[in-house]
Amino acid sequence: MKQTLMRVVKQWAAVAVAAVTLIAAPEAVQALTCEVSPTRVPITLSYHGAKLTITGQSAVNDELVLKISTPPADTEMKYKGKAGGLFWMKKGSLEFKGVPMVYLVNSTAKLDLILAEAERQQYQLGYDAMAKTARVEDSTGQPAEGKWFDEFIRFKEQEMVYSIQEGTITRKHGEKGNTFEAVVNWPYQAQPGVYDVEVFAVNGGKVVGKAHTSFEVERAGIIATLSSMAVEQAALYGIMAVVIAMVVGFGVGVIFKKGGSH
Amino acid sequence: MYMYLPIALTSVNYLLVVGLGLAVGLLSGLFGVGGGFLMTPLLMMIGIPPTIAAATDANQIVAASASGTFSHWRLGNVDVKMGILLTIGGFVGGAAGVQVIKMLRAAGGADFLIKMTYVIMLGLVGTFMFFESLNALRKQKQGASKAAPKSEKKGGFFAALPMQTHFEKSGVTHSALVPLVLGVFVGVLAAIMGVGGGFIMVPVMIYMLRMPMHVVVGTGLFQVLFTCIEVTFLQAYSNHTVDFFLAILLLLGSVFGAQIGTVLGKKLHGDQLKILLAIIVLAVTVKIVLELVLEPSILLSYAGGH
Repeated sequence: MKQTLMRVVKQWAAVAVAAVTLIAAPEAVQALTCEVSPTRVPITLSYHGAKLTITGQSAVNDELVLKISTPPADTEMKYKGKAGGLFWMKKGSLEFKGVPMVYLVNSTAKLDLILAEAERQQYQLGYDAMAKTARVEDSTGQPAEGKWFDEFIRFKEQEMVYSIQEGTITRKHGEKGNTFEAVVNWPYQAQPGVYDVEVFAVNGGKVVGKAHTSFEVERAGIIATLSSMAVEQAALYGIMAVVIAMVVGFGVGVIFKKGGSH
Repeated sequence: MYMYLPIALTSVNYLLVVGLGLAVGLLSGLFGVGGGFLMTPLLMMIGIPPTIAAATDANQIVAASASGTFSHWRLGNVDVKMGILLTIGGFVGGAAGVQVIKMLRAAGGADFLIKMTYVIMLGLVGTFMFFESLNALRKQKQGASKAAPKSEKKGGFFAALPMQTHFEKSGVTHSALVPLVLGVFVGVLAAIMGVGGGFIMVPVMIYMLRMPMHVVVGTGLFQVLFTCIEVTFLQAYSNHTVDFFLAILLLLGSVFGAQIGTVLGKKLHGDQLKILLAIIVLAVTVKIVLELVLEPSILLSYAGGH
């Protein structure tokens, strides 16, 4: 009887130990998560971009890649070239097809070291991958020279809406398991809209896990009021702009006249 | 330090923008020009899309030229009759110029023609004014206290036109058709070049209408005021390209600049004013030529007012 009891206790203990071990083993249980803060970025009068913090949990051995972007779309651009062999001027337009408006990538290591080419291609990670999917056409629909894609990346990087920063995700191994954090400087040049945040867990050159969230950038307060008025009450907006300019102009003229006459 | 602009959808350093307004307003009060040929490129340099830069600049000029017109009017420097005739001509010419541009765009190669018109007009006007006023200043120095006053050449053709009328403030007599036609001419050019046209209108008033320099400045501002009211309203109404906040920042600077310019202008001789304006016009010409010849660092730009 006593022996049987001991056996049962031992069995239960074994189960308990196994369970604890299972919970503590991060590789087996810890799923990839991601959160962005803030989830709403208001554009107010003093807006000059924002600081986004992306946090989450991940398996200890996985490398991580973070991508903030918009779905691929078409963008029309004007391009400059030499006219008459001497003068630089706008020569025509180019259509960039299948390119995101915003593309900010952060990672724990160099993309081409941790990910196979096919994987980078599938998940659109890196400019090389984007170059293969994107198409550049001139105004007649013919494919344009390859240099224009590089020029496009340079333009977008200068505008701060494209960037690839490798080795910028920091990781911690603590009581809460394995967490990661990336701080992204959100550019004020990015237009209002909803932006996708994707985190990829990478192991052995392959993507082994994905997590997704999003945030919204939207006009608030006086910025929202004025920008909708400019479109919805265009005549009133135009009259207001003219009247205020005239009142200020004449007003300052009168003040100066008074000050000057003495 | 930073302020977000609701229409341009970008953030700017407001001290910098007020400073820009002050500098361009100063030129406006001194010379009777709107200064759009300087302001629009400067705004584009700080990241404002071109269409919004041009439209908002027109709104800002309304304030600066209202302020300048008012002070010049108090000084008796505005020839209202002349100003109204030039303005009417300018409206007609502007509308015609917009059609010309549309036709050119459809035919292709418009940008080349526009840039060339710009460079040649600025270069000619600047060079002519520079040497003309340099000669005048030299003659003054040579001391002849009674330097031969400009013999009022009665151009046979101008004098033969009907509707002769005396412009009291300017002290000249012309056919009313002359300022009307010149206004149309300036309006066409201004529309093609995408500017207000003050810097062409001012030399036209000096050399073709033979008006005294100080009346030219006051009347120029008067004409610029009405042109820019029209442009601001039309741009806001049909294109939604006027950024009200950007305009406010600019005009806070420019109205004070225009007052300082007016006060400064009173202390300068007409020929000194002309030679200064000539130097600025030539400097802008050189800048445009350099932009055309040197390879730009970025070869792409968004199409339209993005």
